[in-house]
Amino acid sequence: MPLNVPEQDYMYPGHVACPGCGAAIAMRFFLKAMGEKIIIVLPACCWSIIAGAYPQMSLKVPVIHTAFETGGSVASGVRAALDMKGDTGTTVVTWAGDGGTFDIGFQALSGAVERNENFIYVCYDNEAYMNTGIQRSSSTPYGAWTTTTPGRSWKRMRKKNIVEALVAHRIPYAATASIAFPEDLVRKVEKAKDIKGSRFLHVYATCPTGWRIPSEISIKIARMAVQNNIFPLYEVEDGVKYTINYKPKEFPVREYFKLQGRFKHLTEGDLAEIQEMVNEDWELLLKKAGD
Amino acid sequence: MTEKKVPSKVTPLFFARSYLSTEDNKTGSWRFLRPRYEEKTAPCSVACPAGEDIGRIEALTNQGMFKEAWETILRENPFPGVCGSVCYHPCEAVCNRGEFDEAVAINAMERFLADTARKNEFKPFLTNLSAKKEKIAVVGGGPSGLSAAYFLTLLGYNCDVFEAETEPGGVLRWGIPQYRLPLPVLERDISLIKDQGVQIKTGIHISKEFLKEAGESYNAVFIGCGYSRSRELEIPGEDLKGIKDGLAFLNRIRHGEKPRLDGLSVIIGGGNTAIDVARSVVRLGGTPLIAYRRRKQDMPAFSEEIELALDEGVVLKELVIPVSVVPDKGDYIVTLHYMRIMGEDDRGRALVEPDGNKTEEMRVKNVFKAIGEETAESWCVPPHKGEGVVTLNNSTLDCRTGSAVLVFGGDLTNEIKSVVHAVASGKEAAIALDILFREGLDTVESKIRDCLVGNGSFCSMEIYMKGPRFDRSSHVVSYSEINADYFYLSQRITQPRLLREERLATFDEVNLKVSASMAIKETERCFNCGLCNQCDNCYLFCPDLSIVRDKTPQGRHINYDYCKGCGICVVECPRNAMILEEETNEESAGRESCGS
Amino acid sequence: MKKVLEGSHAVAEAVRLSRVTVISAYPITPQTHIIEYLSDYVADGTLKASFLKVESEHSAIASLVGAASCGVRTFTSSSSQGLALMHEILHWTSGARLPIVMAEVNRALAPGWNIWADQLDSLSQRDTGWIQLYCEHGQEVLDTVFLAYRLAEAVSLPVMVIMDAFFLSHTYEPVDVPEQELVDRFLPAFKPKFQVDADNLVALSPLVTPNFYMEMRHNMAKAMEESILQLAEIEEDFSNIFGRYYGPIEPFLCDDAEIIMVTSGTVTGTSRQVIQELREKGEKVGLLKIKLFRPFPSEIIRKALGPAKKIAIIDRNFSFGAGGIFAQEVRAAMCNLSDCPQIFGYIAGLGGRDVTTDLLEDIYWRTKKSEVLSEESIWMGLQEENHAVERS
Repeated sequence: MPLNVPEQDYMYPGHVACPGCGAAIAMRFFLKAMGEKIIIVLPACCWSIIAGAYPQMSLKVPVIHTAFETGGSVASGVRAALDMKGDTGTTVVTWAGDGGTFDIGFQALSGAVERNENFIYVCYDNEAYMNTGIQRSSSTPYGAWTTTTPGRSWKRMRKKNIVEALVAHRIPYAATASIAFPEDLVRKVEKAKDIKGSRFLHVYATCPTGWRIPSEISIKIARMAVQNNIFPLYEVEDGVKYTINYKPKEFPVREYFKLQGRFKHLTEGDLAEIQEMVNEDWELLLKKAGD
Repeated sequence: MTEKKVPSKVTPLFFARSYLSTEDNKTGSWRFLRPRYEEKTAPCSVACPAGEDIGRIEALTNQGMFKEAWETILRENPFPGVCGSVCYHPCEAVCNRGEFDEAVAINAMERFLADTARKNEFKPFLTNLSAKKEKIAVVGGGPSGLSAAYFLTLLGYNCDVFEAETEPGGVLRWGIPQYRLPLPVLERDISLIKDQGVQIKTGIHISKEFLKEAGESYNAVFIGCGYSRSRELEIPGEDLKGIKDGLAFLNRIRHGEKPRLDGLSVIIGGGNTAIDVARSVVRLGGTPLIAYRRRKQDMPAFSEEIELALDEGVVLKELVIPVSVVPDKGDYIVTLHYMRIMGEDDRGRALVEPDGNKTEEMRVKNVFKAIGEETAESWCVPPHKGEGVVTLNNSTLDCRTGSAVLVFGGDLTNEIKSVVHAVASGKEAAIALDILFREGLDTVESKIRDCLVGNGSFCSMEIYMKGPRFDRSSHVVSYSEINADYFYLSQRITQPRLLREERLATFDEVNLKVSASMAIKETERCFNCGLCNQCDNCYLFCPDLSIVRDKTPQGRHINYDYCKGCGICVVECPRNAMILEEETNEESAGRESCGS
Repeated sequence: MKKVLEGSHAVAEAVRLSRVTVISAYPITPQTHIIEYLSDYVADGTLKASFLKVESEHSAIASLVGAASCGVRTFTSSSSQGLALMHEILHWTSGARLPIVMAEVNRALAPGWNIWADQLDSLSQRDTGWIQLYCEHGQEVLDTVFLAYRLAEAVSLPVMVIMDAFFLSHTYEPVDVPEQELVDRFLPAFKPKFQVDADNLVALSPLVTPNFYMEMRHNMAKAMEESILQLAEIEEDFSNIFGRYYGPIEPFLCDDAEIIMVTSGTVTGTSRQVIQELREKGEKVGLLKIKLFRPFPSEIIRKALGPAKKIAIIDRNFSFGAGGIFAQEVRAAMCNLSDCPQIFGYIAGLGGRDVTTDLLEDIYWRTKKSEVLSEESIWMGLQEENHAVERS
């Protein structure tokens, strides 16, 4: 059975994303679900390049490129202007990477969602500063090599739980989604579209280049992340109502780490430790969901 | 101030705003790996002696295209009803789904399609090739003979089938009990064979003399007269009146006799005939006991049949051989000698020898012998390989006489005596004759090899006729090549059957009909290994929007102008219907657009 | 209607009358009164605008980038640290050719913390591509907001309306607040030259390669240059409606002046008095107020200052390692004149220190007596060294 995903595409071929880019796939699915009545605010990230260099554009929807840390703020302004013009039918979407969301843009994002600005903020998460060449971000997972956590100085801090940070603002809707689960992703986008106020989508987007994986397993890796609870699929309404969308069988994380060059230095002991962390996070989530 | 400067009417405004698409960037030039659609071969289709395109059949069934699915069977097998009922389905044993949860119920699906076709009176859309001048005689109207005639007819040959009995069907009609193969199912298959243009002449017993004169009327004779004579036990008492031949017993029942068989009946043997006899005994009120020289797992009978027999109350006594039968007051005293296991042969069967002098006597009402069959006439034995003789996997060609070519098939050449092997034999013979007539004897073996399914030993008519299957890779898809993430654990359908109590009283068919919704649900489970079922994952997951839908049978093509060769489509193809290769022609990479 | 308003209030009134659609700002002393007045206007419906109470100055200007991209009239206001925080987006605004108007209250930069008047904050943003207009008094600040919108929207560049902390922002003066109809006549509804909406397929501010970047920058430069001519036309229009005129520079008693003092901001008001008094004593002295700092009206300034013998430039700012910034700009404008006057740079009033009439007079006499340039910058009014030395 074909996956149930809307037919229309709002992207052109010829964009310059790396082969197998998860972020490109994320955008494709997102737009399929969103439709064309949107304005995309695009702070600095890989997509600043993928969207096309002057005079080209790879999207069939209007885009405002903006500075790195302004995803929350520029969108607020766009929304305000559209509202004042009486254009309430257009959805304002910020499309940002993990750097622009977890780190440099976090303040503006927090400010915007605290004001409950009426927009959708999508963070496509490739777990490091990929556009600048694989530097660690606060989204980089524990154990990962990056060019700024090289050799034995691999990252020993846990990944920031961005969804929980957003949930703490009690926004109407926050959810995770994965490029390996398009139907779930599309459903969440469609759901978010119909909600008013600040909506946050955290989309897992593989980066073959930065993760040191063959491009063809881009989706497979994304799927494994969900299957082994590294990236659970769930949604939170109004900051309190948790729903876990996918409860995997117990899959060990080991295989996921073994497939990726960025984790190749990890020992079995390290992996056991990571398994503990993943289990702990999952238990915590189950508790929140009351499951 | 000498002059007054005036501002220009149009403010200069050249700044960063994009308005053209990125389609001018031919990112295909980045590619060093090249994905391509390539259908491969499913293991089930390799294991199927009829070489049925099972993956496609299940896909069509799943889409509700029952007629097309049924026709897909008919392209390789004229007996969908018969095989759907009695085939021992070696396909299911190698089904990749078996490694995931349980094999797909391929056999039940085949029967479902046959039933659906019968109920809706489907007429197959199968046209015979243009008429050929050669005429062929087929000796024996059993499964191999009818298959040979059917395929030869499809290839454009004129065929006469000579059947000694009053009705065609051979063992299907006279040897298999109705509770396994109801007559209407058989007759429907045979009538379709006739509809295709096969002439069947019944009541004609062919003798050795016929072969001598055949050359005058026929260019070839297919000999498929089967193994119809039971082998001898070669023990004292075997010749006693009342010691019954299993095959003959089954024949009598199919002719309508229903003898009452009270008391204990012992059946000697472990093949399908033994099981059929035992289960018939149950239905005639008797208590059957099967005496077999080896273990249950060594029995040549199909395991499903054995289990059903045991379920119906048949008793199995392993590791015994009869050594004598002595009549006693209207009963028989059968002496069984115990055997012991010496080891196992290369196929894992027990090697046995008599266990000292350990014997057991048994008082029984009836004794049936069913230790296998052999050919009834010596001239039906195929010649050994040599000048003018071509021994193929399932048939043997004898061109020595210079008049009609002789082709031996069916049980005469098949190691496994099954209906579906008979079909394989008839098809192989038909193809071999076509090659022989069209291109000569020398090419027969190599051309036959070209139309084998996968790396197996069975031919596909569709491959021979260069149909769409011809383009598939012969690579047989293994379970590890299936992207199992796209499948969910789901139970195989349980074949609906008569209750045990209902079964014991009648010869009604044990298996009940499968509904269309059950069939659609069951075929959903099929991995369709190596076959595109239009799931669209390649299209959906392409980050470069390089999969383009079109009106070709493939339904889509890759736009190599943009495809960067990431390979996601290949990995995300659940069924391994794509392949990723090294980009060989760097010059052309990214410049050509592989359209339809 | 004449009202007695503090400078901040005058700004707010002008913004209200300009029918601004989106306001976004973050409070910082001494700008706070401006946004408080505006909050009231938006709250009570006097101004039909959306006021984003953002979490930082950076977000204030960034959100206006978003709003202005959608083709609406926008306003923000900041000062000092806040303006410095905006720096990145100031560049963005001009590069994106967005006609945003900002009221900038000149305040010193920390450390140490100092909330008082000093021009270094706005002058530090001189290369951001914003048009800068320095104001002297309450009426000018109000009028300049109208001029700023006309100019910004004409040349598609952002404009900063600049006023001194406290001396102007918190000082009450009589101000003529015009009627809405008059303002509407001068400043009609904004007709954007481009805008983003869902039906308008465009990507603003994408990646630009070396193939195009330079042309785009050159285009901005042309627009900047153009703005001097545009401003002249706009001011003509303005004076026709309102009867007031400012000009990019304002010469005062310069016609036969041998020495011309150059000022900007509120120091100008004090200087007028000093110049008047000196003239009464027979000194051939004049005053040149520079209002338009970016683009720098070099040609006009050359014409105004060329005939003088000496020029004394008073800077309430200092570019470390170089000098007073107005002085540098004037020197640069004048340097190729064959008979260039001597140019003296004076630093005065940093961090809100009063620039008194005595100090200004002192500057005049020093200039008159000096035959040669002893220092690039002469720091005026410095206290005795030991007074300032840290005690151990």
